[in-house]
Amino acid sequence: MVTQFTRGQKARLSDLTRGTDLYVGVQISGPGLVFDISCFGLDAEERLSDDRYFVFYNQPKSPEEALQLLGAQAGDTESFRVTLDKVPAAIDRLAFTATIDGEGTMAQAAPGYLRIVAGGEEVARYSFDGSEFSTERAVMLGDFYRKDGWRFAAVGQGFDGGLAALLRHFGGEVEDEEPEPEPAGAAPGFAPPGAAPGFAPPAAPGFAPPAAASAPPAAPQPAPPPAAFQPPAPQPAAPQPAAFQPPPPQPAPAPQPPVAPQPPVATQPPAAPQPAQPAYGLPQPAGTGAFAAPPTAPQPGFAPQPGQSPQPGFAPQPGQPPQPGQPAAYPQPGLPQGGPVQGGPVQGGPVQGGPVQGGLRGTLDQFRGGTEQGRWAQPNAQLIRVDLGEGGPVLARQGSMVLYQGDVDFGYKGAGVRGRLKARMTGEGFPSLMRCTGSGRVFLAEEAARLHLVELQGDALCVTSQHVLAFDESLDCDVRRIDGHGIPGGSLFALQFQGHGTLVLTTRGEPLVMPVTPMTFADANAIVAWSAAAQVLVANQVRLRRHAYPGHTGETTQLQFRGAPGNFAIVQPYEI
Amino acid sequence: MDQRMIAGHAPTPPAARMENHGPTMARVAMTTGQDVFARAGSMVAYEGYIQYESNPASWGRAIAGRLTGESVPLMKCQGDGLLYLADYGANVVCLPLENDNISVNATNVLAFDAHLEWGVQRVKGIAKFAGQGLFNLGISGTGWVAVTSRGLPIVVDCAQSGETYVDPDALVAWSTGLQVNGKRSFKAGSLIGRGSGEAYQLGFSGTGFVIVQPSEDSTDRLAQQQ
Repeated sequence: MVTQFTRGQKARLSDLTRGTDLYVGVQISGPGLVFDISCFGLDAEERLSDDRYFVFYNQPKSPEEALQLLGAQAGDTESFRVTLDKVPAAIDRLAFTATIDGEGTMAQAAPGYLRIVAGGEEVARYSFDGSEFSTERAVMLGDFYRKDGWRFAAVGQGFDGGLAALLRHFGGEVEDEEPEPEPAGAAPGFAPPGAAPGFAPPAAPGFAPPAAASAPPAAPQPAPPPAAFQPPAPQPAAPQPAAFQPPPPQPAPAPQPPVAPQPPVATQPPAAPQPAQPAYGLPQPAGTGAFAAPPTAPQPGFAPQPGQSPQPGFAPQPGQPPQPGQPAAYPQPGLPQGGPVQGGPVQGGPVQGGPVQGGLRGTLDQFRGGTEQGRWAQPNAQLIRVDLGEGGPVLARQGSMVLYQGDVDFGYKGAGVRGRLKARMTGEGFPSLMRCTGSGRVFLAEEAARLHLVELQGDALCVTSQHVLAFDESLDCDVRRIDGHGIPGGSLFALQFQGHGTLVLTTRGEPLVMPVTPMTFADANAIVAWSAAAQVLVANQVRLRRHAYPGHTGETTQLQFRGAPGNFAIVQPYEI
Repeated sequence: MDQRMIAGHAPTPPAARMENHGPTMARVAMTTGQDVFARAGSMVAYEGYIQYESNPASWGRAIAGRLTGESVPLMKCQGDGLLYLADYGANVVCLPLENDNISVNATNVLAFDAHLEWGVQRVKGIAKFAGQGLFNLGISGTGWVAVTSRGLPIVVDCAQSGETYVDPDALVAWSTGLQVNGKRSFKAGSLIGRGSGEAYQLGFSGTGFVIVQPSEDSTDRLAQQQ
């Protein structure tokens, strides 16, 4: 017998079926709409205290497999297998939701339903229709919740903001309040206080394997043995030491210095660019946090040594002027260019109609790349070459691959549930990542933006999401969000990287690395990255009256950085 | 007036038929009898007496027709003087060919000597993948070619390690003689329905080089301007 539910209706599950191993099917569709159907396992306070209980297309099951995503089948857009007996005691509510991926609103949705099947027989059905909604982009369809045993409620509540609003509703977004707290390593807000401890002990009675009779027809897999229940992933992180742990000096991983490529040697004395260089590489010597110490030599083995460099003229070694007589380094765009560049070895004298000495090969040698040593290398300021053979996969922005050699696999990647999910919420600012695995070499670039290799050695760096090009998978990556009135788009998303590994930043133009002083401000549109121990505040300032013309609030928003000496912020000369 | 700016950017005496003036401008030293084909609209300045046969009907039709609608109009420049060419700030590389044979993406051609042999090539295998197909100018002989690149280009030798796969949008030129074939590398299941859609690459194998730009911006700004 099928019990028809209407919006808001609730019922005891035991009145519907005696089985506890249920199949939940959701059918929802709409012209041109793509739906993501997910299940949130919430605690007693209706918060997502453990993101492993957020079951969606990138995480198809919960740790002990009480919740499993089965995919489209039997006329359902998405289906789940829910073994209620196995749901840990800390999970009090299972909320099934549908969110629109891409454009569209729930009002465009065609009639659909959520149904519960037990033992091959449909026992309950909640039907809904797009006309019940308007501009919502997400909808909570139905809940299983504990109240003297499990009950089911047909919810049918829409959310304007889509997945982001939904996640915030479930407490997934409490981190990164403004002003941002002294950042801890892992996002503390994701696991609300109190929720995690209660979570750890598995509920002893709930773990019996499901009754065989109630196995749904659509879930052919045998009931897996109850998995050992793991403590929740988000660890309450130890607060970082107040002083930002300065790493050893930034090795110059490529012929080009990482961020502030040196101006052409011809135009400036070699000493001039020095202060800018170490500033980018995280601050210098351990403990002292001295900011503008001179750079050290490139790490041996990481950058091609001057003697090894196969094409000495290709790019200047830091601090090393090109040898006269060799082809000049290809000039940096935007730098003052005195006269024409030597386009290659050219003959003096009268104009020649034909080619000159050196020929095609000689000309091309200036641009030749791919012979650099090391896992990460930078053949020129706008390209990164990563050798996947040495040390694990790399996550890169999708579409950033321009060339690869060898055996490389590109897979769609969610950076873990949280990273992935939040990545989507950052909208167009952070397009999806691809996971590059294999043994080949991949060249990455983006829109001819300046690229910078940053090697983290146990320290942490926050990078605004649109400035991340690629990073070692071994790095811990967390999303931080900075809200504030006046920030374009409502909030600024930053990825906090921590651990040992390399990441690649993009900047438009040559960046500025500012030491964090008591009065350090940056435009929210121009900020690229900052050391994670710096505190970020949103500062609104009323500007001069002449800016306060009608239609303009006269108010402008800046980010203020505060922190111990040794912290820094990186800004690009381009406001996006 | 501040003379440093004036002096710092003044042209130097021409030393070659084609050379760079700064990273993003090409200068062609024109002499009568040695004509140049340049992308229509790419001229930013000239000195001397230079005439442009800007996209003559016969030329235009021939080229446009061969490029199947995706017209990459060329103009024929003749005369004596210095001709400065640029393409919206793209980096310019002047390549001297010595009985070489290269294939340049049509939108990345800036100029080439008229006496070179050239023809429009359709890249096999790619047309059915990418939206509008990929058309190249095959240029061979002895003379100069100026190509553009969005950002600093990189030259990669193909012989090094098996096949080299290139994003078609980032491809600038390659030495003909390489084997070319299209390839779909991203796993279908991992991408369908999510975001960027499918990705295709051109695989090159054999002995030679490819020139790649660090950008997937293959917009033809000169053609849009028309």
